[in-house]
Amino acid sequence: MNAVAEIKDLHVEIDGRPIVDGVSLQVRPGKITALVGASGSGKTTTGLALLGEYPAGARVTGDVRIPNGLVGYVPQHPGAVLNPARRVGALLRDIARDQVRSLPRPERRAAARTRILHALSAAQLPEGESLLRRYPHQLSGGQQQRAVLAQALLLGARVVVADEPTTGQDALTKRRIVDQLAAVARQGIAVVLLSHDLDVVRALADEVLVMRGGQVVEAAPAEQLWLAPRHPWTAELLAADGKTYDSPPTREGHTALQVRGLTARHRDGAGIKEVVRIPELTLRAGECLAVVGRSGSGKTTLARCLAGLHRDYAGDVLLDGTPLPRSLRARTREQLAAVQYVFQDAKAAFDEHRPVLDQVARTAVRLRGTGPREALAEALNTLTGLGLTEELVRRRPGRLSGGELQRTALARALLARPRVLICDEITSGLDTVTRRGLLDTLAVLLRDRPELALVLITHDLDTAATAARIAVLDAGELIEQGPAQQVLTAPRHEFTASLVAGSTRLAPDLRGSASGPVVGTPYLA
Amino acid sequence: MIGLRSWVARRLLLGVAQTAAVVLLVFALTEALPGDAAVALAGDQPDPERITAIREALHLDRPAYERLADWAAGLLHGDFGTSLASGRPVSSYIADGFGPTVLLAVLTMGLLVPAGVGLGVLAARHEGRLADRLVSSVTLGVYAVPEFAFGVLLITVFALRLGWLPPTAVGYGTDLLAHPAALVLPVLVLLSRPVCSLARLVRAGMIDALASPYVAQARRYGISGARIRYAHALPNAIAPAAQQLARTIDWLLCGVIVVEALYVIPGLGTVLMNAVAERDVPVVQGLAVVFGLTAVVLNLGADLVVHRFSPRAGVAA
Repeated sequence: MNAVAEIKDLHVEIDGRPIVDGVSLQVRPGKITALVGASGSGKTTTGLALLGEYPAGARVTGDVRIPNGLVGYVPQHPGAVLNPARRVGALLRDIARDQVRSLPRPERRAAARTRILHALSAAQLPEGESLLRRYPHQLSGGQQQRAVLAQALLLGARVVVADEPTTGQDALTKRRIVDQLAAVARQGIAVVLLSHDLDVVRALADEVLVMRGGQVVEAAPAEQLWLAPRHPWTAELLAADGKTYDSPPTREGHTALQVRGLTARHRDGAGIKEVVRIPELTLRAGECLAVVGRSGSGKTTLARCLAGLHRDYAGDVLLDGTPLPRSLRARTREQLAAVQYVFQDAKAAFDEHRPVLDQVARTAVRLRGTGPREALAEALNTLTGLGLTEELVRRRPGRLSGGELQRTALARALLARPRVLICDEITSGLDTVTRRGLLDTLAVLLRDRPELALVLITHDLDTAATAARIAVLDAGELIEQGPAQQVLTAPRHEFTASLVAGSTRLAPDLRGSASGPVVGTPYLA
Repeated sequence: MIGLRSWVARRLLLGVAQTAAVVLLVFALTEALPGDAAVALAGDQPDPERITAIREALHLDRPAYERLADWAAGLLHGDFGTSLASGRPVSSYIADGFGPTVLLAVLTMGLLVPAGVGLGVLAARHEGRLADRLVSSVTLGVYAVPEFAFGVLLITVFALRLGWLPPTAVGYGTDLLAHPAALVLPVLVLLSRPVCSLARLVRAGMIDALASPYVAQARRYGISGARIRYAHALPNAIAPAAQQLARTIDWLLCGVIVVEALYVIPGLGTVLMNAVAERDVPVVQGLAVVFGLTAVVLNLGADLVVHRFSPRAGVAA
């Protein structure tokens, strides 16, 4: 089979620093080629090279050949590439318009419409007709992703580049995206999958390229790579993914934070909606509590109630037996310091114009009244304790990687000497190696600071397994809570059971197919 | 759509309340001015007895709240009252002044939108290059010149030195359309600053939109440059410009006093200025109602345009 896209010895350099260093790859129709690697390994730059796009100011050498020139792109956040001011139908019509130009004028409209509906159904949007009249923000995340895919199919792309399509998605959504991409490949379209989610790569890829520092360290058919990785880095990547965590035993330390009869509400134009109901939830010092659930289940709202960021709720949040004021503004300095929050998007949580060290030190000055000099020393101490170098933390946030920034955000929260640390999906944008490192850091923190209690908000059960206790939320209801071991191995509620099943199902399917023939995608058949 | 409709209804209701507040404020302020219509009518040699007589004849001796209540009751029947200075109905003042003002506003808007949007798109398209620098520095420069100075400058050059155009509209009455030459200079002055602010807003919005991921995606998929600029990027750049445009129309319709005075155009601005000078309270109030309602309707329109082009942003009543 001929390659529909080919990269030969691609070098991309910015200011003399190589981003991509001698990458070659071939993409074949109907096959899924996965580029895996940690963030910063050059996989996105390679993927975008297929689209003829390079970072600003880059020096590019090498050869990118795409015989028919049409490449589709499904980015990590599909909503971003859908114009917010235009209806989905108008966006698709713009692509179809050029294709029906050869027809006589009166027939063009109908022909464009036929093509659009065909592309929508190929992208598994059977309800397409009604979607055409909606604006992108009126679609769900999944529909947005499929609408972007429909654009690529309508274009007649022979290659589709999918950039981290499953990052930050819960197990059931991931499953749907995997099916989606598999269906695209079945139509004879080549898919280039850029991902650090090895479960998804396992489930889909025919060919895997492992990248590190801009180079392909190993390229092999998927089955071969899983069974016998040749490069030590591949082995490490696979090991980090395969590692199962031992949940620490629960502790009987004193109660740090207690939630009693909490009902959180959201108000919008239509009225009041109750989004979270927690009759009783206890967090003990020295312990990690994981709050799991699908997106939209109310995990973050609960966390925001604890931190004083969401104040529209009934019930009590008690810190050491005293109710915390609902609003951040009504809390005292000590209460503010006691409950700290680390956000999912670490980049957005920093001022991009100041070195991160200064920003971390500021917490101690603001919340504990420390002098600026001592605060700086303490910040540096904490940051190096989390494995960041002094040279690194004197940089601005833009020059730190996602994992480094997440550690910095953690250090900033720790400088308040909190009793309760809330981590909201802090590992969901990270690759497996970085994620494991961060989770290990959290475990060490708990060991070193017996007074600290941790709330880990996550949709990922592997991450939740590092906690001592797990609370499961579904549609705002606390449906199950208990020691992690028990919730994960013997769930009492059927929703928990489906969640646990969903997260294990992706992998075994493919591991089963690993023995199948090298050509083709047995998993999809 | 039901949500949108009830929102419009709420906004209109709020607008009526706002207009009522404006009328009350204007009434209070006119009352607070020294002297009244009687003093103004009495002329240069005020004779206290004559003033008292005029006051009685005009019912100005009645308490302020009674006069206001009477006038408000009339307004509910569509009766704006009668002028104190001439006895003519206020509505005829407004009708007379409206023609020239609307004519100026329509001409200005007709030129403003294409010119402002065109310059903004042009500058954004060539961001940082010669065309952009030229457009940006000229618009910034012109924006810094006040209307009266620009107006005087234009009269000096084109009417007095070159003699191409009449300096003012004196003697043409309210039928200005019959004398288009008299309209050129006022329209130019009215255009000068709005074109600059609109072009700068469109430029800024376009630069953001052209750098957005959705425009990158459209380029990727081979959509033509003009289509990307006008169908993909411009709608996103329109929202802030629409608000500014509403303020500009409002400014134009409420009588641009400086320009009307300079070019002697008998529009609403002139009517307002004369009414204040004569302490002709009913005329001032009538104009306040018209101006208030215009502002409410225009801003509502602008918000609807914004709602269409950035549907994600919620609209607050």
